[in-house]
Amino acid sequence: MGNENRIINILLKVHIALCLLFIFAPIAGSFVFSLNSDRFPSLPLGEFSTEWYRLIWEDPLVWSGFANTLIVGLTVAVIATALGFGGAYTDFRYNFFGKSFYLALALLPPTIPVVIMGLAMLAFLSRVNLSGTTISVIIAHGVMCSPFAMAIIRLRLSQMDPDLEAASWNMGGNQWQTLRHVIIPFTKPAIFAALFITMAVSFDEFAVAWFVSGLNETLPVKILGFLQGQVSPRINAIGSLAFISSMTLIILAQLLLRNPEEPKS
Amino acid sequence: MKEAIDMTGQPEAFVKFENVVKRFGNFVAVEKADFEIGRGEFLAIMGSSGCGKTTTLRMLAGLEDPTEGAIYLDGEKVNGKATWDRDTPMVWQSLALFPFLTVQENVEFALKMRGVGKEERRQRADKWLEKMQITEFANRNINQLSGGQKQRVALARALVTEPKILLLDEPLSALDAHLKVRMQAVLANLQKELGITFVYVTHSMSEAFSMADRVVIMSRGQIEQIGTPEEIYREPYNRFVAEFLGSANIFDGTVQGPSGDDGWDISYEGGNTILPRSELTDAKQGQSVTFIVSAENMQLSLPGSGQAGIEASVAGEEFVGGTAMVFLETSLGQEIKVQKSHDELSALDLHAGSKVIVHWASENCHVLPGETG
Amino acid sequence: MNRRPTLFSLIMAMPLLVWQLAFFLFPLLFLVAISFWTVRNFQMQPDLSFANWERILSRGVFWDAYLRTIVLSTAAAVITSLIAFPASYAISFKMGEKAKRWMIFILIIPFFTSYLVRVYSLQVFLSDAGIVNAALSYLGLGPFSMLNNAFGILVGMVTLTLPLVILLQTFSMNFINRDLIEAAHNLRCGRLRTVFAVIIPSAKVGLVVAALFAFILSFGDFVSPLYLGGGNPPTLSIMITDITKSGQQWPRAAVVAIMMIVTLMTVAFSAISYAYREKGK
Repeated sequence: MGNENRIINILLKVHIALCLLFIFAPIAGSFVFSLNSDRFPSLPLGEFSTEWYRLIWEDPLVWSGFANTLIVGLTVAVIATALGFGGAYTDFRYNFFGKSFYLALALLPPTIPVVIMGLAMLAFLSRVNLSGTTISVIIAHGVMCSPFAMAIIRLRLSQMDPDLEAASWNMGGNQWQTLRHVIIPFTKPAIFAALFITMAVSFDEFAVAWFVSGLNETLPVKILGFLQGQVSPRINAIGSLAFISSMTLIILAQLLLRNPEEPKS
Repeated sequence: MKEAIDMTGQPEAFVKFENVVKRFGNFVAVEKADFEIGRGEFLAIMGSSGCGKTTTLRMLAGLEDPTEGAIYLDGEKVNGKATWDRDTPMVWQSLALFPFLTVQENVEFALKMRGVGKEERRQRADKWLEKMQITEFANRNINQLSGGQKQRVALARALVTEPKILLLDEPLSALDAHLKVRMQAVLANLQKELGITFVYVTHSMSEAFSMADRVVIMSRGQIEQIGTPEEIYREPYNRFVAEFLGSANIFDGTVQGPSGDDGWDISYEGGNTILPRSELTDAKQGQSVTFIVSAENMQLSLPGSGQAGIEASVAGEEFVGGTAMVFLETSLGQEIKVQKSHDELSALDLHAGSKVIVHWASENCHVLPGETG
Repeated sequence: MNRRPTLFSLIMAMPLLVWQLAFFLFPLLFLVAISFWTVRNFQMQPDLSFANWERILSRGVFWDAYLRTIVLSTAAAVITSLIAFPASYAISFKMGEKAKRWMIFILIIPFFTSYLVRVYSLQVFLSDAGIVNAALSYLGLGPFSMLNNAFGILVGMVTLTLPLVILLQTFSMNFINRDLIEAAHNLRCGRLRTVFAVIIPSAKVGLVVAALFAFILSFGDFVSPLYLGGGNPPTLSIMITDITKSGQQWPRAAVVAIMMIVTLMTVAFSAISYAYREKGK
């Protein structure tokens, strides 16, 4: 390209760097602070210390929060992926009256502010005596995570030769056999990616969980509690561990979605 | 040259389309398709895109249901019968091979769907892999194969259940020219060897005419003509088919009256001509009639030779193999095609703009039955 | 194939539909309903009363919070869009394919970190004796009060929304036909003018949608206003959490929530209409 102005390009690149710095400073900071002895870190930084990690390792509240998060996360991953798969396939294959309504219902949850979702879920679930249980968090996260699963799987389905399904029928496979032997094998990478990503979304979700989990708090809700109390520095340790595990899930999902069979587009 | 399949005297056709109509909303994709396909026949359905040929094939496969009418397969009415319950395997234009399965697994697929045991599956698939000469690729992923090899896999996959009918949807359209010709031979031989019915959809006239016993020509949902390639070529039914064939010259005329015992006097743009009674059994004065004369049957004379015919000037020439196609333009702007050998052409010494007289023997006219009246 | 729904199609389509109807749509509708209920003996009772509505909408505290929330979210949306634009521009137009993909991957990472943890970390950065003030003191500046005020809240909101806005803007600018830009240059339009005359109008929909998302996210956020803004005076989201956590007055919280939803829907609708409105119609 002609018309390149070196100075402007450099300024733009600097701007990007500053933006990235702004975005990642809290993340990097949290990691650094988790290994810092200071309760209220400042410059100059205090000594290296793994005290906070030791504290959370020994804190039964943290462990119970972690256990709840894990149970919820695994269950939600399976439920949301299953629901999302059904929705994605329905969108892929069928046209029907009210399809727009169906899709809106399926995909809108991420656009509703979490405070409102939390309140609505709390009111509804208490009314049916389901509030304050792990199940209530699972239900709420099922609503919030299935759009992600649906989007991921739908994307993968759009990459499929539409004749593949018809070919399977033509070869004598009925719809169930075709689902089992063609659709699912083809979308397998997306299914796994959906499992990982819905799990990651559930892991980090604190607001709605805070509303509905009552005493069965998930880890993010515990963090919220820590923020309000005086035990704040552990947050960094928890946060860093959570970050590493979420990143692992995301990287695995990315690798899965990069299908080695097909040429990269 | 293939023998025409005589449909009279057959107890029952293998496939029967009975007044089949297919509508998608307001759009009519197939209009009153009514024809039969014989056992062991190679039938081609030909037309340009959007003419309804693929829809017709898909209805036979069970991928679409007719809006009206009935389809019979081997004597049984199959409307509404799901495609997986029929044995009408199809070879897709995109081949639709399963990318997550090996070649062997692709070929075995139809048997697996029908619950055939592992050992028997493998044996039957091996037989077809060998028949299509792709045994060496058995364990490869299909992405590693060339276009022609993938074609063979698609064929093996479709034929592994030893069906009585095979459907093909423009299977050769994605191949290179030289591969196309080779695969045409492979398919034609395969069909003869297996003796099963082939229903072959294509937009290519050369493919249809070279491989098929009979051809169905479709346009905009309508069947324009069904017949052997030779019948169609010699006696196209209407203007559409004549234009589709491309090598005939089409003239519109009006009946003036009888001409002798065995002809009709016709007036047309270039003057008058005589159509034999064999082409037009009954006609009234003033009736419009459309007739064609093929390019090969056109004769050229120089002006001043006293020959009666159409005056035209040479617009261009095109050489195809050992013959030349001369394009002429009449004073009214109609294009006339004349096919001559090189020798004949050189004798006339023509160049662009040369004036000639075009004429033909009246027995070389063919009236289009579909345009008369 | 067939017009009648088959068992197969129902099994695929129904679970998601039933789940979302029961646990998404219904609770939201229920929320509207309970705004008319009353609380007696610490229990919500079905009723058809406008008491909650009157109570909330007549109080200055509510409208103060309403105004404050709108001003903060609008400011956040605008500031984030402005900060994001040069970055998105650079990514979209000045980077090769591989660099672009890396940038997108990098920008997705924050979505999978805990917003709470980031906000806590920001507290450490922004507090009076925190990292930023300490650094500034080396330059002889400050200390500046960056927490428990609007500045802190905005920093938090920008942190929340910046990655998403950059991604959405980049995505929409990727679709601009590069020929248009070359044509503009060819017609002696300078780089800056091209940005305003060609790029922004072409990417209008994407830019508006990005700003809209930033607005929606900030509007509903309670973490930044609470932990970086001090929580007082409250935003609408803090009002809801306060009311909910401190008693059973859920009907009143529902009123606030509905006002929020209505506002968001109005803003979203207007923004999208504006974005899709074409000149000359």
